[in-house]
Amino acid sequence: MSSVPCQIDSVIEIATPENIAFQYRVAGPFRRLPAYLIDLAIRVAILFVVALVCSVLSIAIGGISAAVWLLAYFVVSWFYGGLFETFMHGQTPGKRVLGIRVMSTSGRPINGYQAVLRNILRVADMGPVISAEAVGLPPIPLIPTFLVGLCSMALNRRFQRLGDLVCHTMVVVEERPWLSGVVRFDDPRAFELASYLPADLQVRRSMARAIAHYAERRRFFSVSRRREVAQHLAEPLLKQFGLPANTSYDLLLCSMYYRLFIADRGDDETHAARAKAALGHRMSPFAYPLQRGPADPTGSPFR
Amino acid sequence: MKVAVLLEQRRQNWLELDRLCDQVRRRKHEAELVVRFASLYRAACADLALADAYQLPPGTVQYLHQLVGRAHNQLYRSRRRLDLARLGRTLLVDVPRRIFRDRCVQIALLLFWATFLGSAAMAYFDADWGLQVVPPGMIEMLEDSFDEPLSMRDPQANFAMAGFYIQHNTTIGLRCFASGILIVPGLYETLYNALVLGACFGYMARPGVAAGGNFYEFVTAHGPFELTAIALAAGAGLRLGLGWINTGGLTRAASLRKTATDTVPLMGVSGALFFLAALIEAFFSPLPLPYSIKAGVAVVTGVILFLYIVVLGFPRRVR
Repeated sequence: MSSVPCQIDSVIEIATPENIAFQYRVAGPFRRLPAYLIDLAIRVAILFVVALVCSVLSIAIGGISAAVWLLAYFVVSWFYGGLFETFMHGQTPGKRVLGIRVMSTSGRPINGYQAVLRNILRVADMGPVISAEAVGLPPIPLIPTFLVGLCSMALNRRFQRLGDLVCHTMVVVEERPWLSGVVRFDDPRAFELASYLPADLQVRRSMARAIAHYAERRRFFSVSRRREVAQHLAEPLLKQFGLPANTSYDLLLCSMYYRLFIADRGDDETHAARAKAALGHRMSPFAYPLQRGPADPTGSPFR
Repeated sequence: MKVAVLLEQRRQNWLELDRLCDQVRRRKHEAELVVRFASLYRAACADLALADAYQLPPGTVQYLHQLVGRAHNQLYRSRRRLDLARLGRTLLVDVPRRIFRDRCVQIALLLFWATFLGSAAMAYFDADWGLQVVPPGMIEMLEDSFDEPLSMRDPQANFAMAGFYIQHNTTIGLRCFASGILIVPGLYETLYNALVLGACFGYMARPGVAAGGNFYEFVTAHGPFELTAIALAAGAGLRLGLGWINTGGLTRAASLRKTATDTVPLMGVSGALFFLAALIEAFFSPLPLPYSIKAGVAVVTGVILFLYIVVLGFPRRVR
């Protein structure tokens, strides 16, 4: 968002030909390593199956099955990632499980050339390798440390390892957030309080955004936590609006959200009535109105 | 207008675009679908662009970012068609010229051959050198396997060996190339292989080694392709590694990308040479033929390489 001048975050902005910029969250090493390990397990499983089939077939066609096994080993160890990323739109099975995807830095899907090259260059990213003899593990000759890749990822904004830098690719987190719409409140007191707000309520965009953030997140907080978070914003606002100082901070922000995002004065009664009908008997008349009290009725604030 | 009203109006469009993102992937060529998709996408773009002015809540903005990102991904695909004319031009014009004039390839070739010949000479004159440089057991294994003169072997074993050579040798080439991006590991990989190969060749050429004659009968035919392929892969890797040091005025990222597009065809040619060498090594080299025929094949492959690199690659004026 343009009004946040310099966010230290893992968010990358991509400008499209439509002249808008949308955002991706790039995936760091802690998402990519598990994906790699899953892929490694799948690779071993594939090779195991091929080895089984080949050893059964070797009775009939000895030499050719050995050739098939060796070629399968070669293809799987060098082109597993490249092939999957080409044909699964930038995902390997492991990446799909972890919800990440390879994408070119211009925001477009990667092509086969990028997919294959970035996977071949993983050899360089895995370095330096340490000899297993030092650790006392004879069967695996060399243990990759991935230090080169980690350093490269730490040194650029997009968490690109060397292979990604060469191919101009990046790995992004693919979230599928639900379209949640506006937050609905079940508490009729919020609507009541809204009618005490100034009729010409106008706030700046940053304030509106802060209130919206709060309203969307408040369902994850306990009552006391809500109070603590809302306090900083609500205290000066209460003074400004000339409301009693013991008004619930949480309710004040909710009512402002309601006024700014949901409805004007005319619709207050229908909203309040709907909320009351939904809540019914559970409302205590004593917590009403404008008291700090135990305040929050249970139940989801969303419709 | 209140945000809640706006959201109600837009919700249907967004959800439809969300659905179409999945459908367009599956049924690509339905014109109506694509047109509808494009107009919904533009509308969503406009909504996202105005999100700040509309004061959309952050959760919705995040949803829009993802939605537009997915739709953008569906709309702007890269072409996957194979362009044969371009491929031919790359293989027959660009790659030979690059091999001919690229300093990195020259350096890699020089280093590889110098190390190879030096190591071979050392092993020839000093029996201990071979035993010290080559991993333990390898010399004995070589002597064992070339103890008997070459004879017709089971043709199925040839297939197995072809698979082995492709897997083993191309892996070495790819490792030389990929670790070349860090220069030092790439050079290490290349020179180590040159040392070991050279020591084997030198040791086998010693007058006292009985298996030597058979060994040379075996390796002559595929030698030119295989040794050139390794050096070529190393040269391509070295060029890639220099890409982020000597940027030629570009940013490092851009320079890396440019050198990658230059060097990957080299690696492709090197891989093809590895493949051909493996086929020769598996099916032709073990045949019990007179040495002159094997040497003839080596000469022919050498001439092909010469034609490819020098004749096709000789610099000429580009129109």
